[in-house]
Amino acid sequence: MLNDITIGQFFPGNSVIHRMDSRFKIVLDIIYVVMLFVAQNFYGLGIACIFMVMVYAASGISFRLILKSIKPVLAIIIFTALLNLLFVKGDDAPLIDTGFITIYAKGAETSIFMIVRIIFLIIGMSLLTYTTSPIVLTDAIESLLSPLKKVHFPVHELAMMMTIALRFIPTLIEELNKIMMAQKARGAALDTGNVFSRAKAMVPILIPLFISAFKRANELATAMECRCYKGGEGRTKLRQLKATQLDLYASGITLCTLGFVIIDNIVF
Amino acid sequence: MSTRTKAEKMKNIIEVKSLEFEYKEYDENGEEIGSNKVLRGIDLSVPKGQFLAVLGHNGCGKSTLAQHLNGILTASSGKVLINGIDASDEERVFDIRQIVGMVFQNPDNQLVATVVEEDVAFALENLGVPPEEIRKRVDVALRLVDMYEYREHSPHQLSGGQKQRVAIAGILAMRPECIVLDEPTAMLDPKGRAEVMSTVKLLNSQGVTIVLITHYMDEAVQADRVVVMDSGKIIADGTPKEIFGQVDMLREHSLDVPQVTELMYELHRSGLDVPVNVLTEQECAEELLKLPHKAAYKAGPSAGKPEKSADIPFIAEVKNLTYKYSVGTPFESTAVDNVSVSIAKGQFVGVIGHTGSGKSTLIQHLNGLLKPTDGKVYIAGRDIWAKGSDIRSVRFMSGLVFQYSEYQLFEETVYKDIAYGPTNMGLPEDEIDRRVRKAAEAMGIDGELLKRSPFDLSGGQKRRVALAGVIAMQPEVLILDEPAAGLDPKGRDMVLDEISEYHRSSGTTILLVSHSMEDIVKYAEKILVMNRGRLFCYEDTDTVFSRTKELEQVGLGIPQISRLSHILAKSGMDIGNDIYTTERAKERILEITDA
Repeated sequence: MLNDITIGQFFPGNSVIHRMDSRFKIVLDIIYVVMLFVAQNFYGLGIACIFMVMVYAASGISFRLILKSIKPVLAIIIFTALLNLLFVKGDDAPLIDTGFITIYAKGAETSIFMIVRIIFLIIGMSLLTYTTSPIVLTDAIESLLSPLKKVHFPVHELAMMMTIALRFIPTLIEELNKIMMAQKARGAALDTGNVFSRAKAMVPILIPLFISAFKRANELATAMECRCYKGGEGRTKLRQLKATQLDLYASGITLCTLGFVIIDNIVF
Repeated sequence: MSTRTKAEKMKNIIEVKSLEFEYKEYDENGEEIGSNKVLRGIDLSVPKGQFLAVLGHNGCGKSTLAQHLNGILTASSGKVLINGIDASDEERVFDIRQIVGMVFQNPDNQLVATVVEEDVAFALENLGVPPEEIRKRVDVALRLVDMYEYREHSPHQLSGGQKQRVAIAGILAMRPECIVLDEPTAMLDPKGRAEVMSTVKLLNSQGVTIVLITHYMDEAVQADRVVVMDSGKIIADGTPKEIFGQVDMLREHSLDVPQVTELMYELHRSGLDVPVNVLTEQECAEELLKLPHKAAYKAGPSAGKPEKSADIPFIAEVKNLTYKYSVGTPFESTAVDNVSVSIAKGQFVGVIGHTGSGKSTLIQHLNGLLKPTDGKVYIAGRDIWAKGSDIRSVRFMSGLVFQYSEYQLFEETVYKDIAYGPTNMGLPEDEIDRRVRKAAEAMGIDGELLKRSPFDLSGGQKRRVALAGVIAMQPEVLILDEPAAGLDPKGRDMVLDEISEYHRSSGTTILLVSHSMEDIVKYAEKILVMNRGRLFCYEDTDTVFSRTKELEQVGLGIPQISRLSHILAKSGMDIGNDIYTTERAKERILEITDA
């Protein structure tokens, strides 16, 4: 179950998208999201979508992975689409009217618009994590947020927490599986019974998991101290983030596309 | 070169002078209710470049001592000097930590970053070393521990031994003069242990001072010097030969001795003129060959136990069992490949095989935690995956205790935790009570402990509580995955002896999975060997050990005493090819040397 989640999974490669500075990638991804929401009609949306399709083509990420990234939010997409389909009322005569259900052309139109928007939102976000390793992503976020250090926002600590979380997620998942197996061997009924008895059955799993996580945290803290950890002050980095010409071109293209979308809104 | 001349040439990197340390204990309101003296006056000097091994059972204070060596803990009284710098000097603490690096037991809990090379860089990043310099030092450190090819892997893709080597590289990047390793191999399989030990020895040969805390005697014998601790004091200090010659002293402090040392000690006591302080099988063979002896012992009438009558029913059977992980994905792999084996009721079976041999997958099938991809599993003659079969009732019939089973404890009291299994079985209250007490008794947990929280107990006690939790279900088959892993020799012997005693008194069929051949042969009647997902053999212990050469070929460690018998046989002193315990070796040698 936990292995099916692809959001946040990194696929190493050497495409232009992979080689971009991750800080630029984050900012440009945000601009792309803005683009999707600025677009008021199908022409604008189309421009944003073509942009993303081209970026994906440049990244070399397979079509199957794109589909996979949509799967977890499929329910939300369908729900939103249905909501729009059923409840958006148009001025003209309804397309279908059974008395119980009335569907207007405007509703169908909005519904399709929303589907496309959500799908492209998700695949745009997925592209970022598909082409950027979590650790580089963390570095980029730390770097982007670093102006906040001036107002004593704990930027380094936040980045450190993210790194440690990323590091220990696989370890804790493995541990969770182990504990579940051990309690099942003692007759724990994890997948039968009603909601309450299932929640109760989780206690023998969560308590050992928490205790172990705290023990790990404690040992990790000592190990970090042994390696002279003293917070973010005066720290250097093995991996340096460097902006190149590539990032300038990418920014140019993205901003131009945003421009087109805005012009489209004004014109139509 | 002896330790003494080495010591005279070089100055001491570590100077510990009458070091004492105590924990203060507080009650819930923060009032002091007492103190626990962990170190009681330690004096220790370690010359530069020395390889020092520290022995002692759990709770003797050796880890506490280690944490004083780089300023993680500070002395209650006394002094610790590192290259002449006081380790409790807060201003110099980062200097100290660069001189003395620490590696811990659990390889997972000391790696910080999600990429190997970034983890190795961690200390240097903290110290503000320029990026180009970090790059260079990280590469050097990774090459030294032979992990350079893995620099872009993430830690969870690595084996335990590899992770531990990355942890060592993370310390090496600081260019320390001394590395303190606190039981670095306790959680590793034999292959991982060998990897870490050869790394440690390589570093020592390059001039790094090593302080190795360990429970494994075969590791300690490789050191220049051995220090034995008990109750917060150093009770013996000398070369491995000097220390391991004192078999009585070591036993008194519940420590192991190498098998060949034990053998020589026993032979000496039986009146043979042999030195006691031998450590390796080569040395031992040389000494034994000096004795006047016959070429071969005379095999008596078949010493094998009478064949068990064939009508004993099989309690656990697998037929053509195949199990594949991640079927239908690119990661598909076969963990168990067409295995058929039948285990007779009441037997004590040892299960061996290296990591990835499929032994864990096999045993998880025996209580229905995994469903076979192909093949059948029978418990007490019942096909457990037949239609209408209740898989939970199978789990009560065949109890499985996992590795590091203390992780499964969760209740407020030991009593409640042991009662968890029987309660799930839906037994009446008085039956649960009876079973809990019986299981606790079988595992040597006295009534007093039942009221305590399981989290207040020592490691060995927790392990026994977890075992009792499964035994209380009174399964027909009890499967134990590495029940002694990570325990000290005393804890290990206690757990294994209790299991063996329980086997005798209850007649329960036992499957004991272990990496340690020494542990297995002490208890098992039959041995099941797995190799690469296939059944390698399932035979009587004697029969399996007549094939030790093959066992070594499939990468399984064999007891030191078996290796000794091979060396002896080659040099014209045949004591038989079925030697795996010191008792038997002793008998045969006494017979062959007409003592």
